[in-house]
Amino acid sequence: MKFTVDQNSLTDGVNWVSRSLSTRPIKTELLGIKIDATGDEVILSGSDLETSSKAYFKADILEKGAVLVPGKLLAEISRSLPNKPISITLDGTRVLVTSGSAKFTLPTLSLNEYPNLPELPETTGTVASDTFATAVAQVAIAAGRDDSLPTLTGVHVEINEETITLAATDRYRLAVREFSWNPATPGFSTSALMRARTLADAAKSLVGSKNVSLSFAPTTSNDRLAGFSGDGKTMTSRMLDGTFPPYRHLLPTDSVTTAVVEVAPFLDSVRRVALVTDKTVPLRLEFKDGGVSLEAGAGEEAQATETIDVLLNGEPISIAFNPVFLADGLQAVGTPFVQISFTGSNKPAILTGRTEPNGASIENYRYLLMPMRYAS
Amino acid sequence: MTSVFDHLVGQEHIIEILEGAVAASRTGEESQEMTHAWVFTGPPGSGRSSAAVAFAQALICPNNGCGTCNDCNSAKTHGHPDVEIIRTEGLSIKVEEVRELLTRVAWAPSMGGWRVVVMEDADRLTESAANALLKAIEEPGTRTVWLLCAPTLHDVLPTIRSRCRHLQLRTPSLEAVTNVLINRDHIAPGMADFAARVSQGHIGRAKYLAINESVRSSRKTIMQLPLQLGSLAAAFQAAQTLVDLATAEANAVSDERDEKEVEKLQEAYGKGATGRGMATGGAKAVKELEKEQKSRSTRMVRDSIDGALLDIATFYRDAMMVQSGNIDSMINTDMREQIESYAASSPSHSTINKINAIMEARENLARNSAPLVTCEALMCQLARK
Ligand SMILES: [Zn+2]
Repeated sequence: MKFTVDQNSLTDGVNWVSRSLSTRPIKTELLGIKIDATGDEVILSGSDLETSSKAYFKADILEKGAVLVPGKLLAEISRSLPNKPISITLDGTRVLVTSGSAKFTLPTLSLNEYPNLPELPETTGTVASDTFATAVAQVAIAAGRDDSLPTLTGVHVEINEETITLAATDRYRLAVREFSWNPATPGFSTSALMRARTLADAAKSLVGSKNVSLSFAPTTSNDRLAGFSGDGKTMTSRMLDGTFPPYRHLLPTDSVTTAVVEVAPFLDSVRRVALVTDKTVPLRLEFKDGGVSLEAGAGEEAQATETIDVLLNGEPISIAFNPVFLADGLQAVGTPFVQISFTGSNKPAILTGRTEPNGASIENYRYLLMPMRYAS
Repeated sequence: MTSVFDHLVGQEHIIEILEGAVAASRTGEESQEMTHAWVFTGPPGSGRSSAAVAFAQALICPNNGCGTCNDCNSAKTHGHPDVEIIRTEGLSIKVEEVRELLTRVAWAPSMGGWRVVVMEDADRLTESAANALLKAIEEPGTRTVWLLCAPTLHDVLPTIRSRCRHLQLRTPSLEAVTNVLINRDHIAPGMADFAARVSQGHIGRAKYLAINESVRSSRKTIMQLPLQLGSLAAAFQAAQTLVDLATAEANAVSDERDEKEVEKLQEAYGKGATGRGMATGGAKAVKELEKEQKSRSTRMVRDSIDGALLDIATFYRDAMMVQSGNIDSMINTDMREQIESYAASSPSHSTINKINAIMEARENLARNSAPLVTCEALMCQLARK
């Protein structure tokens, strides 16, 4: 095997496949990156068996071949190289990497022990990469982190013809985002449960491409795989087992009070007030015509009160939230203003975005937040 | 047609249940026959983990566990994406390990069948690890099956065992073990008979003994120890000999393997690379591996000492048989004269006390008492008339 490639293509590819390398894999071979130059272009692969990534790039292939090399070391070397053509050559059991005067050799690992990685399922449609990345990030924030409740660590992906609905919940909040996409075949619908951090990482890393292709194996298929791909990059990930809890009935359709607040000062206040107490201490909010006041802690210690402007529609309301979860939601709406819709002090509230204080609320993203009990 | 269950020796009563479960599992629904959590219990060597692994193979094999297809083979060797075999060789299974496991188990089965987790040493779960596992067993994935193995049901947290179907393995008969050694492992009948007899139903131990000359020779030395306890100094010497031999036996297995594992890991981080050394994190990963190996080797030494104590117990058991006039069921027939003369010179209640002392020492070792000190105390007890 022998080829030359420019530094950008190599580093970009190595960085992409490195995302799928685990630090403590079941087999040591999975610490490796496979370099495959047996075809017309070079294919790099990395896998931890849950996700498998491949990067494709053009190269001047002088001698065909394939090899498995220590993944982390290849990543460190490629990043350290100058922006010049790089030559990669298999020499016996070692791989030579040269670029200008820089010269490295890497040992090779047993390619025979390297597993066959799953093929990317057929493309089911495409979506603009930034839309996808934003939507996934908005939803993944609400996913659970407790691996003993695996279903809740996932993002539920539901495809209904031209609409994709993403949802995630850790039982204390629920985020739902809808966006449209271009299905490859009309009338397609399916659903899948993907690990939130895998999905978020893949979506974020694919923004370099204009569009992202999504591939979901149909629910009838034996292969419970989903794939994501952009320019020269693909990733397959296994779906999570289990049934995502039904959630649509949790989203109230009417409200007794709506409050519109400017996000930036509100977020600052939430963080400042929460600072003086433990993260799990309820943040008490009182929405009145004159403004919303924030208070945390009780008794002499850790009292903190701030008031900020609010546009209130309906009855005044007092409610308490987990400050971290509230801050997450305020950030996730991604607009200058937030509308909070209440149905009661001990009922969940819904955050939606508004670009103008008097404009309509943007309903394609809803962040439902459970209130906390507190002693008054 | 061959079946993975053919290799389970003397366990006909559970094979029937497992085959029923496999048949029921094909419907894809949870049923009375096919449930998602099982506990296999049985004395060491009865093959509880072999039974669990065979069950795992049968669940994922298109032919109900033929033992010859790709799925069956890869399931056994950690190569099947839907079968996870947790073989803890450390002293305990920690909560971090269970959490890591749960992350992996959350995947849907790749082949659309079942996802099976075999935990060979469920008795070694720490309390927090067991609690983490409990949550997962309470709310299992729809296609996940848990197969836990432990010596007895008491070794499993009550909250876990109440959610599992229980299968109790039997100690296989002498004939059954001998036949397996002859037919499966092609061991000469005389050797097979000897190995099966002295291993008391522990098939793995019997095979190991039958194929390893050095192990047989260590055993021979250890079996002489009860006859060499004439003085306190001799008792201490005997304890030292026992611990040394058991340690050497354990290390013979682990040293070579440890070295290979470290080498492979270093290679995967790029040891021997020029222009730049090993990748960052390599040294740390190796250190972690070495820590695991150390804990594994500690356990192997303990297991090996436990095996030696069980061997010595057979000496007193034989003596007791002779004292009660039952000479036909002697285990150590090669030591008949020595045992008979010991039996004649020692009162039978003292023999029973000595067997009890050995069992007590084994229990202490299982609770992590210091091996040499425990063996010294034991040998002093055995030295009494
Ligand atoms: Zn099979």
